Amino acid sequence: MKNLTKSIILLLVLISFSSYAQTGNEKFRTGVKKGLEMISTARSSEDFLKMSNYFERIAQAETKEWLPPYYAAYGNLFAGLSISDKTLQDQYFDKAMVQIEQADARNAENSEVNALKGYIQFMKMSIDPQARLSLMGAAATSLGKAKALNPENPRIYLITGQNTFYTPEAFGGGKAKAKPILENAVAKFAIFKPASDIAPMWGAERAKFLLTQCN
Amino acid sequence: MKFLQLTLLLLFNFALVQAQTKITGVLKSTKGTPIANANILLKNTYDGTSTDSIGRFAFSTTETGLKTLLFSALNFETDSVAVDLKNNGLTLNLIIKPSINLLETVSISAGYFIAGEGKKGAVLTALDIATTAGSNADVFAALQTLPGAQTSFSESGLFVRGGAASETKTYFDGMLLKSPFNPTVPDQASRGRLSAFLFKGTSFSAGGYSAQYGQALSSALILESTDLPEKTTTGISVLSVGAGVDQNIRFKNSALTIGGSYYNLRPTFNLIKQQNNYIKAPEQLSGSIQYKHKIAENGMFKFYATYGKTELALYQDNIDQPMLPNYFSNSNKNIYINSTYKEYLNTQWKLDAGFSYNKDSNNGLMSADNYTRTDQLTNGKLTLTNYFGTLSNLKFGAETFHTGRTEGLNNLEHGYTDQISSGFAESDLFLTNKLVLRVGVRAEYSSYLAKYNLAPRTSLGLKTGINSQVSFAYGRFYQNPEDEYLIVKRLNFELADHYILKYEINTSDRNFRIEGYYKDYSHLTKENPGSLDNSGNGYAKGLELFWRDKKTINNGDYYISYSYLDTKRNFRDFPAIATPSFAARHTVSAVYKHFIETIKTQVGATYTFASGRPYVNPNNSVYLGDRTKSFNNLSLTVSHLTHIFKQFTVLYLNANNVTGFNNVYGYAYSRDGLSRRAILPSSKRNLIVGILMTIGDNTFVR
Repeated sequence: MKNLTKSIILLLVLISFSSYAQTGNEKFRTGVKKGLEMISTARSSEDFLKMSNYFERIAQAETKEWLPPYYAAYGNLFAGLSISDKTLQDQYFDKAMVQIEQADARNAENSEVNALKGYIQFMKMSIDPQARLSLMGAAATSLGKAKALNPENPRIYLITGQNTFYTPEAFGGGKAKAKPILENAVAKFAIFKPASDIAPMWGAERAKFLLTQCN
Repeated sequence: MKFLQLTLLLLFNFALVQAQTKITGVLKSTKGTPIANANILLKNTYDGTSTDSIGRFAFSTTETGLKTLLFSALNFETDSVAVDLKNNGLTLNLIIKPSINLLETVSISAGYFIAGEGKKGAVLTALDIATTAGSNADVFAALQTLPGAQTSFSESGLFVRGGAASETKTYFDGMLLKSPFNPTVPDQASRGRLSAFLFKGTSFSAGGYSAQYGQALSSALILESTDLPEKTTTGISVLSVGAGVDQNIRFKNSALTIGGSYYNLRPTFNLIKQQNNYIKAPEQLSGSIQYKHKIAENGMFKFYATYGKTELALYQDNIDQPMLPNYFSNSNKNIYINSTYKEYLNTQWKLDAGFSYNKDSNNGLMSADNYTRTDQLTNGKLTLTNYFGTLSNLKFGAETFHTGRTEGLNNLEHGYTDQISSGFAESDLFLTNKLVLRVGVRAEYSSYLAKYNLAPRTSLGLKTGINSQVSFAYGRFYQNPEDEYLIVKRLNFELADHYILKYEINTSDRNFRIEGYYKDYSHLTKENPGSLDNSGNGYAKGLELFWRDKKTINNGDYYISYSYLDTKRNFRDFPAIATPSFAARHTVSAVYKHFIETIKTQVGATYTFASGRPYVNPNNSVYLGDRTKSFNNLSLTVSHLTHIFKQFTVLYLNANNVTGFNNVYGYAYSRDGLSRRAILPSSKRNLIVGILMTIGDNTFVR
């Protein structure tokens, strides 16, 4: 009994100790995981901004990791998508652009980074399509690069499909054209295995939802 | 049990060691406004939080000792404070400074209309120019719908704020373009040679422009060419007036574009009755080559060359001898080369170098006389820009023009050449992000005139609200007299002083501008009986309004411009001071565009009104005392977007003067003053249809 008590206490000490003195890698993983929980519960623009700020804090502490600026960019993108004020939207997207470039600088030639960049560029274009047509080409270029780097990344097809979905038919978009791309996205999501439990894995539900809208 | 107590004590102690400091506080702007959603953090740690809707924040940290607390927020400068963490609570009242938001920063704006993608203050995009009804994608025609420009139809070019067309100069990537127009037939305007799609940005300045631009008395049209195309594509256009093809080849860091076109107006002239009796309808063959190379991260080299050959011949009514119409023929060859290099040497310095060459040769018959005319210009320019402060810069550079004309009549030739050397310096000083001052000066020496000039220019901008700005500009502008006079005599520079005051409100969907100006002209070229001198003078004053709204009508976009112009001049062969024939007192343009999604079609309409213009009636003792009736024009354009052979295709239609207004530009009188001939548009109505196809890109990006 004494031994058992001893062991339990030792275990408790160890646990409490480990929670205070995590190794760097574990601290980073737990930190990102906590942020991912914030993403899953985020609803309002403010939620996304708070989550983006959270990742921005990790990004400035972990200067070599690309995931924090990647998720910070994701947060600003969605903060913009959750409001209708175009001026503010534009500012959030600009900040998202800066953060995704930071992620790109930390891990060049990354399929996920280029895919998200294509998403942000397309949304920036959609604020004033007439004046920003060239961003449509830039988004296509980023997504093309993402595909060349990893054709199995399902988010490329979700974003490409979504961009096509929201592009008027007259300009080479439309539901009919988006459908096969989104079907491909859903198929790729089904077999996709994220590189780790903190790597990007978002989008499967969105792809399914958009596909239902295509009919 | 003792051990347990010990351990608990240890644990307790441990917790004490790990005790947290609670940091709380509030973040406000320098004006005292609470800042929401700001990021508060301890540098190099994960610890921190976001501020709430009233700027409050609270978080705990296990860090101890001297640390840096960073705070940042959108549109504010990131700042920091040193904090000493001693396991007790800390309350901070933080103040954050607004950052310079380029959208809310004042700009040099007096006199300017900027068109381009994503440009601040841009009111027209390149696509806008191409889709303006009545313009047929001609840059010059589209710009005539902006305030300050007259509707010009009987002479090529832009007539700006009382200035003649020769007083508006065109600059291609900063280099002066001497012959930007297709060959002209008497009393008719012709279109610009350069396609609107060559350019990503167009700045139309109706006055007060930068010291970088010389030899323009009234207005500067500043065209900025596109950068590397995204993809390899082929463009094919088949119009009722001709056809063209161009091939874009994209390499990793460079791109090559080769294009050719053939235009022949005969089929159109057979269908649409022309004012003139054409023997040979205008026929043009042209080719161009373009090469762009991105050098490292910060350099861009561009080369553009084009060659065009045009032939035409016609009979024009002869008011003095109706049985003997005037014969006119023209054979034109035009070569243009433009090459520029731009490099950001480091974060402080930028280099711009450019070279251009233009030669425009004409020959033909005027009645029974053989004429020749060759204009040429070689232009070299070097500019250095130094960036300092947050937004300020200093530009300085040198420019050389080798220009001239050779004219011949029945093998008797004469000509002139001039070497103009110039230097300029200009600084944009941002005193705050709400106040900018531009001061500049340009000096020129003309070897032919053997004269110097010195032109000071200044401009001021003051932001009066988030979206509003007041601007003022003063500038002195010199220009050599027109070639036709220089060839006869070495004259002096012509001179104009511009004073401009402007107020504008710009939001992302709406623009409002009101601009007033006064211009004082002197040293204008004057034809006195038997001699030429620089005794001409004049003035122009006016008020202009512009309103654009992309928001109110869903998928609809319109703008309205109004220009009031009061101008008089005594120049050329005027016997007295008078309002020139190219100046209408009131000009109104309304441009509307609507995209109808269900039928994938953009429709557009442009209505233009101009009050009557003066004309010379030899029977009226007042020179230029008569006025034509007012001018009205309603033009329509329809662009249907579709796919042919799976390739992105635009079906295009442009109809000018659909309601058939009878417009008169002026009158030409017989020598005895007893009969007259109305100067009319080349045709009452005009129609162009065509197909534009892009191969290699399924979206509308080119």
